[in-house]
Amino acid sequence: MKKLVLARKFSQALFLSLFICLLWLTPHTAAFFKIDPLVSIFSLFSLMMLGATFIIGRFFCGWMCPLGTIIDACGIKSKNRDTGIFRNIKYFILGIIVIFAFIGIQIAWIFDPLVITARFLSLNFIPSFTLALDKAFIFLIKSLNFYAPLYDFYRMLKLSALGTKIFYFPHSLITLSFFVMICGLALITKRFWCRVICPLGAIYSAVAGFSIVSRRVDKCVNCMKCKINCRMSAISGDMSYKKGECVLCMDCIYDCPTQGTKFGLPATPARPQAKDSITRKDFLFLIASSFIFLGFKGREGPLKKRLIRPPGVKNEHEFLNKCIRCGNCMKICPTNGLQPAIFESGLAGIWAPHLVPEIGYCEYNCNLCGKVCPAGAIPRLSLAQKKEQKLGAAVINKFICLPWSQNKECIVCEEHCPVASKAIKTYEEVVAGKKIRKPYVDISLCVGCGICQNKCPTRPERAIKVLP
Amino acid sequence: MDNRKEGKGMKKVSIFERLPKRKITRKGFLKLCGIGAGSLALNSVLFKFAFGQEEASSGRPGKKIKGLHDLVVAKGEDPYAMTVKAIEAMGGMGKFVRKNSIVLIKPNIGWDRSPEQAGNTNPYVVGALVDMCFKSGAKRVNIFDRTCNDQKRCYENSGIEKIAREKGANVFSPDDWNVVKAKFNYASPMEGWPIYRDALECDTFINVPILKHHSLAGLTISMKNLMGICSGNRGLMHFDIGTKLAHLTDFIKPDLNVIDAYRILKRNGPSGGNLADVVDMKTLIVGTDPVLCDAYSCVLMGREPSSMSYIKQAVKYNIGKGDYTDIAKSDILTINV
Repeated sequence: MKKLVLARKFSQALFLSLFICLLWLTPHTAAFFKIDPLVSIFSLFSLMMLGATFIIGRFFCGWMCPLGTIIDACGIKSKNRDTGIFRNIKYFILGIIVIFAFIGIQIAWIFDPLVITARFLSLNFIPSFTLALDKAFIFLIKSLNFYAPLYDFYRMLKLSALGTKIFYFPHSLITLSFFVMICGLALITKRFWCRVICPLGAIYSAVAGFSIVSRRVDKCVNCMKCKINCRMSAISGDMSYKKGECVLCMDCIYDCPTQGTKFGLPATPARPQAKDSITRKDFLFLIASSFIFLGFKGREGPLKKRLIRPPGVKNEHEFLNKCIRCGNCMKICPTNGLQPAIFESGLAGIWAPHLVPEIGYCEYNCNLCGKVCPAGAIPRLSLAQKKEQKLGAAVINKFICLPWSQNKECIVCEEHCPVASKAIKTYEEVVAGKKIRKPYVDISLCVGCGICQNKCPTRPERAIKVLP
Repeated sequence: MDNRKEGKGMKKVSIFERLPKRKITRKGFLKLCGIGAGSLALNSVLFKFAFGQEEASSGRPGKKIKGLHDLVVAKGEDPYAMTVKAIEAMGGMGKFVRKNSIVLIKPNIGWDRSPEQAGNTNPYVVGALVDMCFKSGAKRVNIFDRTCNDQKRCYENSGIEKIAREKGANVFSPDDWNVVKAKFNYASPMEGWPIYRDALECDTFINVPILKHHSLAGLTISMKNLMGICSGNRGLMHFDIGTKLAHLTDFIKPDLNVIDAYRILKRNGPSGGNLADVVDMKTLIVGTDPVLCDAYSCVLMGREPSSMSYIKQAVKYNIGKGDYTDIAKSDILTINV
């Protein structure tokens, strides 16, 4: 019985499912990011994680990280190759992130594993999974005539876990391919991402290099089984190992034919670790290479289209710097209106949320996006404060609008306007003996929630549009 | 195939090396095309079988049950007691609900508003109706509405979901895939409109609107409340709304209309949101003819029934009684609770 390996696998499965459940079923999605030192450096929880890493080692990567678990699963059949000096790349990436943080550009969102997993789950996994489940139920109920109890169960699910709305993100293929690429790297060698690229792993690895708990080999017969099998290739030929690389997966304990491998407090002085250090040349290379990321600096250009940002966002530049693109707000938005941007606001704005009123409007009575934002990019507002936020302003196109262009009765926009005293007013005009009420927008009252654009019945172009 | 035969002792060859070596023959190519086309066709047939069945329906058969009075108007402080007393004065719920029958209660849960803001039907009125239905032996009480704001938030904040669930009713969100197409035996702008099947497959239809201001329709009462059973692009219903609502009422033929006028929204309807626009009227109107109920409510609000396009159209199509003279002639009982 490989008890420790089983315990590790159990812990991995537990944290992965916990991560999915938190994202899917609760509004407490920010919880996981509190323990992430790359996203929230000074939070109490992430300091605790670093402290624990100093004692035990890089346990987070091996036992908790949801992306690590998925990568492990992808690389279960792949060969184990030594990544050698390439493993230092992750420190370079961490270095670049830190340098940019000091200049005032935040690029941690590209590489943080928790963010990558959360984004994949929110934008790809949960929408496709709920869609498949929904279609399966519809097929069973409608075609095979399983009404009665199954139908009741389905309807109960719809108001709880499944959701009354199946979410849809038109540009989610890009997030999917990014995620698949990262997992696919595991086909080159086990845990390629964790060894070579992950900057969060780099933080933990730097701390774990000094950890107290360490690996000890007694009665070594030089069979090299542990070296060959090590998923992080942390073990060198002379049986010394790089503490910072070891994720405590516990495999080597059971690979050892003499059962001489143990993890614990060092009884005797530990063997010297294999040394890696960053040279001056490396450092200069780091500085030079970091310039490629300058593209992520937001710039105001004449052609740059401004987008409708979530409620409460005032400064676009500050928003893009704070936003880690985890997708929490897009997952929680009840109308599916918050969507990831692609290049609409430049390279700096990739995957940052913006409101697309034609897919979903901003619910007047809701402040969930600010509540779930782990980075504080969307401010936390009380309901009363949220209702005063202006996201944009509606504009009516009189060439399409039914009452204006065709003298038909409509004013659906006025009906739905959530502002208590109606930001859309109408004025009456008598046309051919019939009173027709024609809408116009009172800009001083309009909050730009976009429900008018969402409900406007004209197709394909809506007659009322919210401009940021 | 050949590779495998030869290479019993050989190393496994990866698929990337094997594929280019395969020869493509004319026959093989045609076969592949055939298989592709066949599976596509089969796919579309299966898809249609699974998700694409559509039926037409010519509406609910009306039950034409008459109460003891044409209208019962209850005034009082407690909406629950008012509902109970008014239905009792009408002849009791047993008159409308048979044993082991399925009842649909259709309140107005259109907006993400609290009961005080008077955007949705008073939850206690709905609760009282659910209780009475079960007392009369109903097997199942269904409650749904197609909401304008987010479904979950409307159900929760209106307070209706909680009360109705506690009393044992089924509160659910309607499914856009489970609809029937409306069919009329006269020319109608509602022809072919998708209607939720649950609205038709019930033994008793109880319509429970709230009386409030509506920008286009003037007032939204029982006939306008029936819009909640329509699927599709409902914004388009606003054009020629009078005729459409009249035909929809004829299509559904609600058995009982319970109009909640406990709190009413005077201005900025139908969503409201400002408590200054809400007036306490503490009234409840019960009737079997939706047009008469609407006409009476109009008079109550100081509006002329004929100024409402849907009442005018309903009278024109002889769906119900809605003129001033009809109100004067009809038997109206007023009770104080």
